[in-house]
Amino acid sequence: METTEITIQNQTFTLHPSGALFWKEKSYLLIADVHFGKITHFRKHGSGVPQEAIHKNIKDLDTVCSYFNPDTIIFMGDLFHSHLNTEWFLFEKWVETIASNIQLVTGNHDIIAPLHYEELGIQIFEERCVDTILLTHHPETRNGFFNIAGHIHPGVQLTGVGKQFLKVPCFFMKPNQLIQPAFGTFTGNYMLTPNPEDRVFAVADDQVIEIVLGLQ
Amino acid sequence: MNRAALVEIAEAWFQEQDWKPFPFQKQTWQAFLQGKHGLLNAPTGSGKTYALWIPIVLDIIKQNPEYKTNPKKGLKAIWITPLRALSVEIQQAAERFVAGVDAPFTVGIRTGDTSQKERTAQKRKMPDLLITTPESLQLLLASKGYAKTFENLHAVVIDEWHELLGSKRGVQMELALSRLKVVAPRLRIWGISATIGNLEQARDVLLGTDQKSLENSVLIKANIQKKITVKSIIPKNIETFPWRGHLGIHLLDEVLPIIDKSKSTLLFTNTRAQCEIWFQKILAVRPELAGSLAMHHGSISKDTRLWVENAIRSGDLKAVVCTSSLDLGVDFAPVETIIQIGSPKGVARFLQRAGRSGHQPGKESVIHFLPTHALELIEASALQKAVKQKIVEDRIPYLNSYDVLVQYLVTLAVSDGFYPDTIFKEIQTTSCFQAITQDQYQWILNFLVLGSQSLQAYDEYRKVEIEEDGKFKVNSRAVSMRHRLQIGTIVSDANLMVKYLKGGFIGTIEEWFVSKLKPGDVFTFAGRNLELFKIKNMQVLVRKSNKKTAKVPSWMGGRMSFSSEMSDMLRDELYNVNRTDLPLSKELKALEPIFTRQQRESIIPSKNEFLIETFKTREGYHAVFYPFEGRFVHEAMASLIAYRISLLSPITFTIAYNDYGFELLSDQFFDIQEVIDNNLFTAAYLKSDLQKSLNATEMARRKFRDIAVISGLVFTGYPDKQVKNKHLQSSSQLLFNVFADYEPVNLLYQQAFTETFDHQLEEGRLQLAMERIEAQTIVWKDCEKPTPFSFPIITDRLREKLSSEKLADRIKRMVALLTK
Repeated sequence: METTEITIQNQTFTLHPSGALFWKEKSYLLIADVHFGKITHFRKHGSGVPQEAIHKNIKDLDTVCSYFNPDTIIFMGDLFHSHLNTEWFLFEKWVETIASNIQLVTGNHDIIAPLHYEELGIQIFEERCVDTILLTHHPETRNGFFNIAGHIHPGVQLTGVGKQFLKVPCFFMKPNQLIQPAFGTFTGNYMLTPNPEDRVFAVADDQVIEIVLGLQ
Repeated sequence: MNRAALVEIAEAWFQEQDWKPFPFQKQTWQAFLQGKHGLLNAPTGSGKTYALWIPIVLDIIKQNPEYKTNPKKGLKAIWITPLRALSVEIQQAAERFVAGVDAPFTVGIRTGDTSQKERTAQKRKMPDLLITTPESLQLLLASKGYAKTFENLHAVVIDEWHELLGSKRGVQMELALSRLKVVAPRLRIWGISATIGNLEQARDVLLGTDQKSLENSVLIKANIQKKITVKSIIPKNIETFPWRGHLGIHLLDEVLPIIDKSKSTLLFTNTRAQCEIWFQKILAVRPELAGSLAMHHGSISKDTRLWVENAIRSGDLKAVVCTSSLDLGVDFAPVETIIQIGSPKGVARFLQRAGRSGHQPGKESVIHFLPTHALELIEASALQKAVKQKIVEDRIPYLNSYDVLVQYLVTLAVSDGFYPDTIFKEIQTTSCFQAITQDQYQWILNFLVLGSQSLQAYDEYRKVEIEEDGKFKVNSRAVSMRHRLQIGTIVSDANLMVKYLKGGFIGTIEEWFVSKLKPGDVFTFAGRNLELFKIKNMQVLVRKSNKKTAKVPSWMGGRMSFSSEMSDMLRDELYNVNRTDLPLSKELKALEPIFTRQQRESIIPSKNEFLIETFKTREGYHAVFYPFEGRFVHEAMASLIAYRISLLSPITFTIAYNDYGFELLSDQFFDIQEVIDNNLFTAAYLKSDLQKSLNATEMARRKFRDIAVISGLVFTGYPDKQVKNKHLQSSSQLLFNVFADYEPVNLLYQQAFTETFDHQLEEGRLQLAMERIEAQTIVWKDCEKPTPFSFPIITDRLREKLSSEKLADRIKRMVALLTK
């Protein structure tokens, strides 16, 4: 497995192929768009999506948490897909096994009553400002801040010689913004097109690779 | 009343109309009145409607001689039509006869266009005769007490059965019939089909595997001979005629005189985009045709389409540019001439379209074939022969369509519930599920009730429940409602309604096209230039624009493949080029300059040769193979050969194909000698290699889209309800990945592969093609530059890919394109 390190506002960030982002100086692990409960939500409505898949999110979380061993885990919104369902119990059990602080910056899908999170010791924020870095679910621009966000599930289309092309999830970085890929198993991508001043880090299986931008 | 007396009623009525019944009509009356099932093979406009309506009405009279004074209430016959648009015409025919013999029977229509009010009224009191679609019939099966509604059915007629047969709508019909047969013991089943290669099989599928019904059935052929004249439009200057393309607009000048000379002309195009463009171009050079030139395709609003159809019938239109939307049904007597723009891809479709002209008895049908690029002239030549030799294709019925079965079982569970054993016996009598095993059926039942094969922890799956006496039933109102909304097997992209700002519905357009437009952009739709104002609530709001240049929406799909009959004809035609003992057709003669050039740079293969060309361009290393087997077979073969080459060393290919051949393109060099030395064209291990080629997975992923919707895994919803169900939206692609990772044994997931192999890759045809190639000599030509034969293939931008490289290695050689 290969990660990639970048510097934002003199701080060090590690891009992990799971889509997670580690802020080294603060020991924060940022995770966007897990969409827990999505599979159960579908099943509840009569769509027979394989139930085994619900464990994948937990497994991936365990992997990335033990890799970085962060002081704080910050979920960047859309942690739970819809209304409360039994997948919550799995999440609850997982939270018990985690020593780190857990925080949630809420997103549009997070419609579960805050009380439930608070009972698990999870703090809830609409946004978080840490020094000059602004953590939000929806990407936004604010003077004097660098914004880190999720929500979009960014992906990028790549082209190569021989009429080759590929679509891959990516970390999408603008001069004052970094958008994380979705962490969840059962989620799609939204394709973005970069400008010359942007940087794109593609997730390729177990690697994060910075992509050359070109006109071809 | 005895049979002779009944037939006399019909003959007397015919006489009153000044008509004379055709022999096939009399035969059908007799057979029906004898209580037989059957399939009637008769073309549109031949009087097929009266062949079956009449004996149905007579049979009702026979059963109830007091029909005038003491009519029995309730539904007596159902007429299934695949196209809603045809229902009015069928209703008029039925009413005309019913009125003529003074019988107090009502004729009703129930389709997606029927208002809620009328449906409710029908439910209270069904008409005696009902005209409906396969989907609306399923909806009736989804209503409570359906068995009572259907118990006195005398007959079900499935019109245009050939259209349904090769699709999942056919499976839907088979299942509905298996139920109706049981709830209505007197039921007689009749199909009406245009000429196809497998008429016998069409009858067998219709009647199911029950030997007794088959023995008690007939196949009646109308045998109406129609003279068809095929004329090719040959470009005056082949040197400047394009080597590729699919629009054919270069030949506009040749088309205008044909339109001028004919009273009324239909121009058939292959795609809706092509239809829009031709309409615009004709108007641009002949503005005086405004008002007498119209356009007809499936995305235009129903009202406009009906208007156009009526105007054709009354002879008010000089010409209509259309798509397959006018292939079926209604009589267009005034039409004298047909122009087919671009390859029709199959002989049957070509004949069907030809038959839309010269409708009056004794008149000939005239069809002009307009090639859109040079090589299509070979096709023109092949079509001439095919029409002469009366070659028509088979329609291949679907087998084991579990998605349709899942939908059907939920339908039954939604209405009155069902007992699994009863239904199992019924579905085993259908052709589609004749081989279903108890295990597979049990799997489906588990899937309905548990959403999987065993009870699981943390599960909240809810759909069908088992009641105490073992009845399978849906009790949740939400599940029932979602299911009713989703009934049907025709799946399309999310469609948005196009409306004027001031109101006025113009038609529907696929979401992915609109998503590429910004407000202010101008696009061509329904023959008008429209400016996008905004998109709101699944509606595209537009206003008229005077701008001359506009984008033309391209609708997905519509890439058809040659039928195997058509490929055979085409290959024979091409092999003839090298023969000196046969005279060349005028189409092939016109191609001589191109053949000469092909000969100079490569060869024109003969019957015993298989041609491979290689060349290098700025785009990379090209290898083009020419099996001349139609695009579906080429898609499979390309994937197979690419896979086999990729086993030799890590390499990435992009793949393009058309009806003539396929291309493998790579950024890395690969040696064709190795392909030949390693015998990569062997027919051995065909299936396992195909399955392993990544491409099969990609194709299955696309097939899965329909399966997921039909089986209710994905909910598409209704436009106005979309927001409410937002959390239930997911792409079938994602779902496919989840199945691949966690439940590869799922029957619906596996069905995607079976369909890919049987219907998309046409595995059987592939096998034959590979065996044929094995017997040929491979001729490899290393060329300087692209040859005339290769040109239409290598310029195709719609491509598949296949790679044996690691994802990261590929990504490192690629770039992300910047915003322009």
